[in-house]
Amino acid sequence: MRTVLRLLAKAWVVPLAAACSSASPTPTPGTTTPPPTEEPADGLVCKADQHPVAPLSLLTRTQYDATISDLLGDNSQPSQAFPAENEVSGYNNNTEVHIANPLLVEQFMGAAEGIAGRAIAANLNTLAPCSGTSAAEQTSCGAAFVTSFGKRAFRRPLAADEAVAFNTLFSGLNATRGYSAAIELTLQAILQSPQFLYRMDSERAPTPETGAVALDSYQLASRLSYFLTNSMPDPQLFAAADANALASTAEIETQARRLLETPRAKATVRDFNQQWLQLDGLSGLARNPPESTSDVKGIGTDYRESLLQFLDQAFWQHGDLRSLLLSPVKFVNRRLAFVLGEVAPESGFVSVTDSPGSVGLLSQPGLMAMLAHSDQSGPVQRGVFVRQRLLCLDVPSPPPNFNPIPPDPDPNLTTRERFAVHTESPGCNVCHKLIDGTGFGFEAYDQLGRYRTQENGLPIDTSGEMLSTGDATVDGPYDGVLELSNRLAVSPRVERCLATNWYRYAMGRVENEADGCSLREVQQKFSASGGQFKELLVAVTLTDAFRYRPAISGDQ
Amino acid sequence: MNRVRQNSLFSRRHFLRAAGGAAVALPLLSSLRAAAEGENFPKRLVLMYTPNGVIPDAWWPQNVTGETSWDLNTIHKGLAPFKDRLLFLNGVDLVVTNEGPGGLHQKGIGGLFTGQQLQDGDLFVDGCGQRAGWANGISIDQEIAKTLAVGTPIKSLELGVRATENDVQGRIAYAGPGAPLPPMNDPSEVFQRLFSGFGQNTDQLAELRARRKSVLDTVQAQFKSVSGRVSSSDRQKLDAHLALVRDLETRLAVTGNGSSACVAPAVPPALDQTSEDDMPTIGGLHLDMLATAFACDLTRIASFQISTSLNHIRYPWLSSLGEGHALSHMGPSDSDAHSQLVTRQTWHSQLLANFLTRLSQIPEGSGSVLDNTLVLWGNEVSEGNTHSHQSIPFLMAGGGWHFRTGRALKYTNAPHNNLLVSVLNAMGVPATTFGQANLCDGPLSGLV
Repeated sequence: MRTVLRLLAKAWVVPLAAACSSASPTPTPGTTTPPPTEEPADGLVCKADQHPVAPLSLLTRTQYDATISDLLGDNSQPSQAFPAENEVSGYNNNTEVHIANPLLVEQFMGAAEGIAGRAIAANLNTLAPCSGTSAAEQTSCGAAFVTSFGKRAFRRPLAADEAVAFNTLFSGLNATRGYSAAIELTLQAILQSPQFLYRMDSERAPTPETGAVALDSYQLASRLSYFLTNSMPDPQLFAAADANALASTAEIETQARRLLETPRAKATVRDFNQQWLQLDGLSGLARNPPESTSDVKGIGTDYRESLLQFLDQAFWQHGDLRSLLLSPVKFVNRRLAFVLGEVAPESGFVSVTDSPGSVGLLSQPGLMAMLAHSDQSGPVQRGVFVRQRLLCLDVPSPPPNFNPIPPDPDPNLTTRERFAVHTESPGCNVCHKLIDGTGFGFEAYDQLGRYRTQENGLPIDTSGEMLSTGDATVDGPYDGVLELSNRLAVSPRVERCLATNWYRYAMGRVENEADGCSLREVQQKFSASGGQFKELLVAVTLTDAFRYRPAISGDQ
Repeated sequence: MNRVRQNSLFSRRHFLRAAGGAAVALPLLSSLRAAAEGENFPKRLVLMYTPNGVIPDAWWPQNVTGETSWDLNTIHKGLAPFKDRLLFLNGVDLVVTNEGPGGLHQKGIGGLFTGQQLQDGDLFVDGCGQRAGWANGISIDQEIAKTLAVGTPIKSLELGVRATENDVQGRIAYAGPGAPLPPMNDPSEVFQRLFSGFGQNTDQLAELRARRKSVLDTVQAQFKSVSGRVSSSDRQKLDAHLALVRDLETRLAVTGNGSSACVAPAVPPALDQTSEDDMPTIGGLHLDMLATAFACDLTRIASFQISTSLNHIRYPWLSSLGEGHALSHMGPSDSDAHSQLVTRQTWHSQLLANFLTRLSQIPEGSGSVLDNTLVLWGNEVSEGNTHSHQSIPFLMAGGGWHFRTGRALKYTNAPHNNLLVSVLNAMGVPATTFGQANLCDGPLSGLV
């Protein structure tokens, strides 16, 4: 027994000590006045004269693969060998850090060679048909290919100089290497060109402009398609762009609602959910096998799918934030059913409703397992998760070089006593009151996401306290995830925070003060809709930030 | 899942693919090297990183009675065959972390091989609110690559074992300020990149180069054309990308070189780069392929990192089930944690020992590739529980052409920027400062 307690205590204390190391002595919780709840979650205000930038954005691996699939019918996911994108705040499409590096540029070449080779072998006659055999006839076929394929690859008609460049490449290769090779290599060049690899919403306007510049219809088509489908514009969007039928918000809204019903939108919502909730943490999930379970290797994949199916249902079937936080459903396959004590399905995943402790997102086995240690629940991780991902509360910055050294753990203390040693030490306690108060209410879920009422024969204490969230509907003592979820489900701050997260994903960057007007508009529309997810996404596409960019010095 | 294999970027004409998939060297090609024997073989550099500090009592040399009179401690027993090639550098501090933004792990890993502070900014927030951007400068491997890697097909090879945190706490190599280089975590991808094209003949290679040149020339022209139509901040990104395309084209023109030991290894098995269980296999495969890449002169510069700072990784194959960072915070009184950490660090050291063994088995002139290789091993903190940046566990192996090795040296608060200068000098770069220049007063004393 002594050993068990000691091990538990150790696992318990360490993360606190760790987080402690950068804890902040300021501000003291309870002494600051919470901001009024009307204020946007991000604290930005609307300044009508500011226009947020639309930076160049490099395709992510997800976008690259989907685009290649739509462009050429090649579903081989050629980006698998690309290095992972750098991430900011969980998002891998951040334009500031997802930039070219030597390995990626090498892989772009390798991928383009593979893709072009397969395309020529399978589809030359549909991709670049040519019945003629003379150089003149083939030159004409090549030019037709450059015009038609180039437009789809660059997501806009080619400029005259661009067409000349690729036609020149084609003609030279056609003379020396023949038609097929010339098409293949021209295709390779297109796939490595910046107009394909980057979305360039900021390309200079043909007429002089100042202030806010409206994106043209092709740029808007790409914005819509990459935001809602993570891929190139589909034929209907191209047609709308050709007809310049994306100039009004009504036209944009029609397209946005149409795209939300496509299969790629389903994948996009999954992509967002994985990044918003930082489900990378489930990759390679390692949990010490519990007494009742012999094999948990690779179980992170099961948890991820379970969680994504719950999120899919909340988004596409229930459709609103309240259901996300309160729907008493979880999804299990055979292995998860065994771990969680549910009836095992024959195959695949099935939904289980109203099991004990089943309360929406915050009770999901995958989430609880991710936010834990290998042998113990994780109140600190859970507290940080709720505050950062659901409430958009950043932990306050400590002063420079703040480095308290936690005392050596005393094996004779109980878990609670060890915990108190760290949270009562000056500096550490400031953060930890906020974080641990939030996270303790989750103690009914262990490191495998199993619901429990006892631990080591003692009743579980699920009392927690929400402090300084800036939202009066959330603050105060609470008992258990049901009570907490009920509060979060009606919290204006949670609503605004989710809107902010979708906005970051849509824009590929963290908001700044120039986003005040657009972000507030999205938050207000989401709230007015009663927390409907689709309305949130549509609202993003109708903002000025989505439809305009600032004038570039040198617009001519 | 469908896995598409791409053509290897680089090929060696002096290989024949054997029936089993492994390549064999043509005997006559060792003569390529023979011609150069007795002279300047290429120098190679490996930066090695392991996280979360060490157990000093088991890491630093013991029974030290003089620079050359000491015994390897518990963790480094596996390095015994190479004791006379080692340099333990006690008392070298990450002074650069004394100032600037970021958490202590973030600053440590960012500054370790760059000698720079982190950039200001809100990009990355650590566990309790410390904010920072990327490291504000190039790392020594990339600085050295500017001269040493001219003429190799690959400028540098970044390798990781479960180094899957894609932010400042997961990056050790930088091409420049705010330009981190991602590591490759999957041995299959490393193999593909290095060896899959072995076996093509001269004509095939010449045709491949010609095709790539025409494609990349057009691509470069497109970058230049578009660059003039975008904002200045976007132009910087495009210009940086263009420079990488240009460098790629230059390296593709390189024809092969390499010793008779340049034999492509077997195709690695499929492994899960996120799995703890696969870590030992991945680490071993990475270093074996790196040794071969050196033998083939595919690259001369590499970095090798085992996971990332602040990781939560267990080492189940060593029966160490504590979580990396948390385990490192257990105080000295916790004998179980102490023992787990020593076991883990011993495994790290054994990986290095295995790598040195491989290098020593690759003949080069009258010696081996090890004679022409320098490994610098560091950590972002010295002890996990204190986050100290003083007396970082720095160990060098090799570099005998420049350093007087086989010694355990003790300094007092020496800035590690000086150590970085020493490494630059060893690799033929005549620098007197590196990273934050005001922290440097030349190479570390007493090394040469």
